[in-house]
Amino acid sequence: MLKHETWHKFGRNKLSMIRVTNLKKAFGAIRAVDDISFEIPDNQVFGLLGPNGAGKTTTINLIVGIINADAGSVAINGENDPTRTHLRRRIGAAPQALAIYDNLSAEENLAFFGKLYGLSGKKLKERVDWCLDLAGLQDRRRDRVGKYSGGMKRRLNMACAIVHDPPILLLDEPTVGVDPQSRNMIFDRIEMLKNDGRTIVYTTHYMEEAQRLCDRVAIIDHGKILAEGTIDSLIETHGGMGTVNAELELPVPENAKLPAELNENRLSFESSQPLQDIAALADAGVKYRSLRVERPNLEKVFLNLTGRRLRD
Amino acid sequence: MGAMFHLAIKDLKLLWRDKVGFFWVLGFPLLIALFFGSIYSGAGSATARSMKIAVITDNMNPTVQSFYDQLGKSDVLVLTPMPLDSARPLVAQGKLAAYVQYIDSSKSAFDMFSGHKPHIKVGIDPSRKAEAGYLNGLLNQAFFMQLQSRFTDVKGWRRYLKDQRQSWDSIGTGWNSKLGMDFFEKLDGVLESAEKIDSAYAMKSDSASDSVSEKNYSPFAALDVAYEDVAVIWAGPRSSFEITFPQSLQWALIAAAAAFSLSIVTERTRGTFLRLRIAPISRMQILGGKGLACFIFCVGVCSLLMAVGILIFGVGVASWTYLILAILAGGICFVGVMMLISVMGKTEAAVSGAGWAVMLVMAMIGGGMMPLMFMPSWLKSISHLSPIKWGILALEGSIWRGFGFGEMILPLAVLVGVGVVGFIIGTMILSRSDG
Repeated sequence: MLKHETWHKFGRNKLSMIRVTNLKKAFGAIRAVDDISFEIPDNQVFGLLGPNGAGKTTTINLIVGIINADAGSVAINGENDPTRTHLRRRIGAAPQALAIYDNLSAEENLAFFGKLYGLSGKKLKERVDWCLDLAGLQDRRRDRVGKYSGGMKRRLNMACAIVHDPPILLLDEPTVGVDPQSRNMIFDRIEMLKNDGRTIVYTTHYMEEAQRLCDRVAIIDHGKILAEGTIDSLIETHGGMGTVNAELELPVPENAKLPAELNENRLSFESSQPLQDIAALADAGVKYRSLRVERPNLEKVFLNLTGRRLRD
Repeated sequence: MGAMFHLAIKDLKLLWRDKVGFFWVLGFPLLIALFFGSIYSGAGSATARSMKIAVITDNMNPTVQSFYDQLGKSDVLVLTPMPLDSARPLVAQGKLAAYVQYIDSSKSAFDMFSGHKPHIKVGIDPSRKAEAGYLNGLLNQAFFMQLQSRFTDVKGWRRYLKDQRQSWDSIGTGWNSKLGMDFFEKLDGVLESAEKIDSAYAMKSDSASDSVSEKNYSPFAALDVAYEDVAVIWAGPRSSFEITFPQSLQWALIAAAAAFSLSIVTERTRGTFLRLRIAPISRMQILGGKGLACFIFCVGVCSLLMAVGILIFGVGVASWTYLILAILAGGICFVGVMMLISVMGKTEAAVSGAGWAVMLVMAMIGGGMMPLMFMPSWLKSISHLSPIKWGILALEGSIWRGFGFGEMILPLAVLVGVGVVGFIIGTMILSRSDG
């Protein structure tokens, strides 16, 4: 079982833990990040949702200060330079690549990264144990990482980001290439970390993940943020109408006014008030053999905003 | 410093666990030292310097035995007693350099006046003129050492003179017989006096005297040779391993530089470098940690190889201080080389290929493959460009060249200079490429 730690909170700015303002970064002719701005309040999971190459990883790298922005600024808890040592100590980042050493064990990887953040002795041992619990790797702690499955490596990759108990966590596509079991475990752990009071930035191109985990989402494409807000507000603003898919019993009463043409016995139409429309048809004598109502989702939001699907 | 230390320990641990990589940085250089050391060993190893000869046992008597014993004291001859019939074919087959037969017809070891003279027969291939001359010198040395030992035996001499007087007395009364008898009597008288004096000094010496001159007195003492240790200024290596071990150290440094430069690229391509960059440590600390690991490893491997060379293969050390400085300077140099190589490409394949290509050329022109002394003069001039040459020179200077401080300072300065400049340039390029 995981032991809950009490970790140091560093005079948190209640308004915004991370504030990104007019950030720009180009690599040659490619504008990887093009004038983006957002704020992430304390203790929120903030999603950066976009297809591959949208600029998510570059944004993460700019936030931690390992690449220099062409313009704009990043403030962590109100301080402008994220490369400052005391700020770095409060940020944990799990890169998209598996940034762990195959020839070291899970325990050795965690201890090594812990030492880089100044941990030692009993504290280090406690944190390593805590992280091994978090990643579900206690029973394999002394095995070389090279012998782990992809899911185990992913979990360890995330655990290495949190070994120093940071209040801010940046997770860059933490579920890439993992099995469903490991994916669910990672989701559970992220929710647990959020409940601990951490601020989490989560990049993904899986809208299901963003919908499950994120309090707020920024939809990013070609280096620009297209929309940003809570899931509900994004859907409400950009999701469009819901979709009704039904199989009807034939014949359909002649007085029933169908909103779309029948395809054999199948009826499909979009509506801003699907439940009311379904009820109205039932009142007109239409009998349903099956019925499915699809609410608009982030996939549809992205489609509406870009004209492309997320995984195109 | 703590972070650099943790980074270095991590890198050393990773290299230690890469068994194949470890072979290339330790096993391979050692094999090179042994392989080329064996090839060159004809030039000067102790075994190669020894001459194996047979001593013929067909006509053994105490005088012959004494002569062979004297001959066997030479540390450059390995004697095998055997009959002439066995020795001759072995010499003909080249398995022995020569055979030596001492033919002595005298009845006594003190038979100086009988007209008999000892005769030594040497069987050797006529083309081995140098060995024949060398052996001749050793035979004469043994003979005179034997002669010297006869003169110090006063009692033996008096017994011999007594025998001679009886022998001459029976010959007749001619003038030469009388002259001989007269000579023997006078000589015996002198020897009798000498024996008395000898006995008196022996008693006195046993009782109280501390006088060195009295203690060491002997009327017919052998030549007293006193030896003084005078440090030799070596003009050349004492064994082939003194040439090949400095070379093998360079190969160890090359392999270490290749391994660590590759590890930098691997960290970059696999994302661990990114994670290190995110940590609260500077880029200089990260690269410093890499350099520290490389330096510790270089010094460790070089020390280990030198220990093997010294303890097992008899490699001598003219100056321990300079040897330590040469190893430290070599380590610094290859930290810089490692950093330069690590920025020669963005992928592991590119850096590995480019790194080995550059370092092989460095080794070829620097004396890592062929010893500098065997190189043509134009190649020796080019070799100045290779740090391998300066590394070997520094090591040789401390092992057998007998360099003084003035001679050591140039190779040491070049090595340290290459290391520092390489590290700075490599770090700058790496920083720029990371954006």
